[in-house]
Amino acid sequence: MPPSARHLTADTLAGLCRARALMRSSGLSVRDAAARTRLSPFQFIRRFHAVFGATPHQLRIAARVDRARRLLALTNRPVTEVCLDVGFSSLGSFSALFARRVGVSPSAYRARVWASTAPQNRAATLYPGCLALMGAAFAILEKQNGGAPVETGGVTANTRPAAPESGCASS
Amino acid sequence: MRIKLTSIMVDDQAKALRFCTAVFGFVAKHDIPVGEYRWITVVSPEGGDAELSLEPNANPAGRAFQEAMFAQGIPVAAFEVSDLAKEVERLQAAGVVFTQMPTPMGPVSIAVCADTCGNLIQLYQPSR
Repeated sequence: MPPSARHLTADTLAGLCRARALMRSSGLSVRDAAARTRLSPFQFIRRFHAVFGATPHQLRIAARVDRARRLLALTNRPVTEVCLDVGFSSLGSFSALFARRVGVSPSAYRARVWASTAPQNRAATLYPGCLALMGAAFAILEKQNGGAPVETGGVTANTRPAAPESGCASS
Repeated sequence: MRIKLTSIMVDDQAKALRFCTAVFGFVAKHDIPVGEYRWITVVSPEGGDAELSLEPNANPAGRAFQEAMFAQGIPVAAFEVSDLAKEVERLQAAGVVFTQMPTPMGPVSIAVCADTCGNLIQLYQPSR
């Protein structure tokens, strides 16, 4: 890509943002989203990926999985209904995709959240306390270290237990 | 009281850690799984003792803030570099998109780029 393509105008940036919002909330196709930003589908996908770190398709899948997590944790609707609700037509492919992204099957995910958290606190498990994660992280690390204090300072202290790939709203 | 820890919200922690280390060149300091999320911080290999936390922005309130700032073209963090032109060239070669090319602004020169995790980041070089 030539250097000029690595510079986005405010208009294109705003257009990409609008396209992202629409593709997440509605079934807007990539072709239609591209047309709205006045880019060819090829250029649209290329720029979208350079700016958001994921293709439009990947982003839409991530949004669906995210919505499914919410419905599973916060409602008691059957898994099949949740699957259809977030835009999948096959329970098998929904479950497989969900398990790949979240680490467990939809029903196991629901069981885990419901078993570990009272109904009024379930939203909080979906929305982590952000900086509050620090306290929880160091408590976990201290436990793993058998009660030894955790080194928090110093650039060389690199605490890296094997981390699962399941992040938030992963792409 | 000291300022040693600051944070940015990211739409995907794994992607953010990859970008911050492989593209920006920061070094991972902490990466601790906490339930569905991770406590991740990075530091600069060029010194200074500040840590940057990569926070999951799963909270709809945080997401609304992040997306509004992004759409308005407003950076949420600023990192100092010693040679802005060179840094911009290096990052562009790595595929990073800039919304503002290096621009002198009084005592600093400023450029703004997308971090692929939902944020605009300002890079600045103090004028000599």
